[in-house]
Amino acid sequence: MSQPNSTHTPQLVTRDGAVIPDGWTLLADDDTTGADGPFILGFERALRELDGRNGHYGVRVMPGDDVRLLEPFLEKIALIEVAFPGYRDGRGYSTARILREDFGYTGIIRAVGDVLRDQLFYMLRCGFDEFLVKDKDPSQAITSAAQRFTTFYQGAADANRPAWAKRHTLA
Amino acid sequence: MSANMYKYDDFDHAFVRDRNIEFADQVARRLSGDITEDQFKPLRLMNGLYLQLHAYMLRIAVPYGVLSSKQMRKFAHIARTYDRDFGHFTTRQNLQFNWVKLAETPKILEELAEVEMHALQTSGNCIRNTTTDQFAGAARDEHSDPRPWAELIRQWSSNHPEFTFLPRKFKIAITGARKDRAAIRVHDIGLHAKPEGFDVYVGGGMGRTPSLGHCIRTGLPGEQLLSYLEACLRVYNRYGRRDNIYKARIKILVAALGPDEYKRQVEEEWARMDQAKVDAPVAEIDRLKSFFPDPEFKAAAFDRVAFERAQTADAAFARWVKNNTNPHKRDDHASVTISLKPVGLPPGDASSAQMDVMADVADAFGYSELRVSHEQNIILPHVHKGDLYELYRQLDAVNLSTANVGKITDMIVCPGLDYCSLANARSIPLAQDISQRFEDAKLSDKIGDLQIKISGCINACGHHHVGHIGILGVDKQGIEFYQILLGGRADEKAALGVITGKGLPAEAVPAAIERVVRLYLDLRTSDDERFIDTLERVGRETFAGALHEPA
Repeated sequence: MSQPNSTHTPQLVTRDGAVIPDGWTLLADDDTTGADGPFILGFERALRELDGRNGHYGVRVMPGDDVRLLEPFLEKIALIEVAFPGYRDGRGYSTARILREDFGYTGIIRAVGDVLRDQLFYMLRCGFDEFLVKDKDPSQAITSAAQRFTTFYQGAADANRPAWAKRHTLA
Repeated sequence: MSANMYKYDDFDHAFVRDRNIEFADQVARRLSGDITEDQFKPLRLMNGLYLQLHAYMLRIAVPYGVLSSKQMRKFAHIARTYDRDFGHFTTRQNLQFNWVKLAETPKILEELAEVEMHALQTSGNCIRNTTTDQFAGAARDEHSDPRPWAELIRQWSSNHPEFTFLPRKFKIAITGARKDRAAIRVHDIGLHAKPEGFDVYVGGGMGRTPSLGHCIRTGLPGEQLLSYLEACLRVYNRYGRRDNIYKARIKILVAALGPDEYKRQVEEEWARMDQAKVDAPVAEIDRLKSFFPDPEFKAAAFDRVAFERAQTADAAFARWVKNNTNPHKRDDHASVTISLKPVGLPPGDASSAQMDVMADVADAFGYSELRVSHEQNIILPHVHKGDLYELYRQLDAVNLSTANVGKITDMIVCPGLDYCSLANARSIPLAQDISQRFEDAKLSDKIGDLQIKISGCINACGHHHVGHIGILGVDKQGIEFYQILLGGRADEKAALGVITGKGLPAEAVPAAIERVVRLYLDLRTSDDERFIDTLERVGRETFAGALHEPA
């Protein structure tokens, strides 16, 4: 939400706060690179081509894409980039939860786009594990987001238990 | 005595404390110039802090309108210490302070946390404060108490990780009574709690595209309420429009898909969901219900003769009893509405002194409990009838005995151009003019139940679509004009009013309303036929002519 650091160059950071290099390349839709490799396909192209391909791909999911269409191909997908073209667009949170909770997808879910420190808390809860975040100290931004709250009122895609579960812990 | 209401445990306290620490840091960054107003805006809005025409406005959540006397005293203290000695109760059953200083807001939030309150989710595109029947737990026509469910929803929706960036704000209302006093058909989701489960209405709303909610589910078990709501919200979050702020509410999605298709998508989502992960266990629902027992009702015998003698001796008291009490489930009790609509003053405002008195009378006569109604009045839900006269006298001493509940001067009015940066026209001065015209108690009582609702712009914060008479302020080439709507209602027979006649300048509105009302008095078949009944019987067009000065 806040954009105090949004002029900073995006850096890729994991949910543990490690800043890592990005080993993946986003392929343009007309790029015919055929080799199996760390390539990210656009959503439509992934739907068209993944059936006939082998290997482990990345897929870029835009806010309007129905992530449920990827279900038949999940075994071939190692990375899903969920795009946030603007921080106000909250569709990506549903995308991540569907992947984790409906499909049990265990590959990487990465948030890219207008990713700012004030969103990280919600993204962590929805099952994201990498963040291309614009912040002067991405590592600190993640750590502080993870520690900001101790009470959670809902079950989500992370390991935090809702208050009702803690209140009624089975003996 | 402490009120029977939800009480925070360590988890709830920790949540508000953590959130306040975060906000205090954001305010500090703003004050030091670390972040600009543009950058600060979305952050402060998540904490109910608006920048209005003249000053910062802080909107405090009153969960489902339920207040303790202790909390009301805290409001009085905040009004005295940090504002201009008054506060404004809203149609969302919340409280707004209109003149706070930015630097003092963290301190105010700290004070609120001491009485288990906060300003979270009173703005922004998230799930807002759930509203309900102001007589919940007291009304004679209630079949299910909505408060535990409203608390369940409050917790589930707090800091929801998936639904904090919805296409637009999201409002839920619950009723559990035969009469709908919560206006559930004009909410994004309206819930009717019944012994056999919930009826779920979706897609109601006001604003520029008013619509009535569609029932998509009946008999939904309470244990599955949260997962069903989660499915409703997920479909909306994924498919609600985001390209146009005026078409982003769920009513537009439901209209575009059709209620049947929306329902199908919700049910599909719901079936797929791991419901046990979302739904709180029965033990938690039972825990929430345990916070809302009946108060220990005063056992004193009710002296009916003395009560009637007092009414005979004091006609003003008799009138107040008639207009401002609602049938209680116990014969010897009543629910009392304290009207915040005195003639000539801004509707919904209360001074710190008045707040203190309301807290005092709640302690003395009302088991320390108060409610805020969406009509912007304050309610004492349980009062022994033997205490009504003394209560009335204490209220009367601080100008809180206005006996106009449900009457023509008990208007819902948005803040309008006097405060709001969105408004096109003034609302409060117009309401004052109308209330002065109908100041005469005899006339107002003769007219009976008649709801006027005024909005200063098309966003409809004053609920003009569902007023028996609705008034909408518009800006016509720089001049404030008012359109009149007739025939709306927000109750169990919900209907939308229809714009009738031509727009009027402010000074012509009170007289136009009076002509409509005089015509109604001529047309009604008996004193019991209310304005809305007559209107529905004879048709709106019959009244159209009366809106305009005879040529």
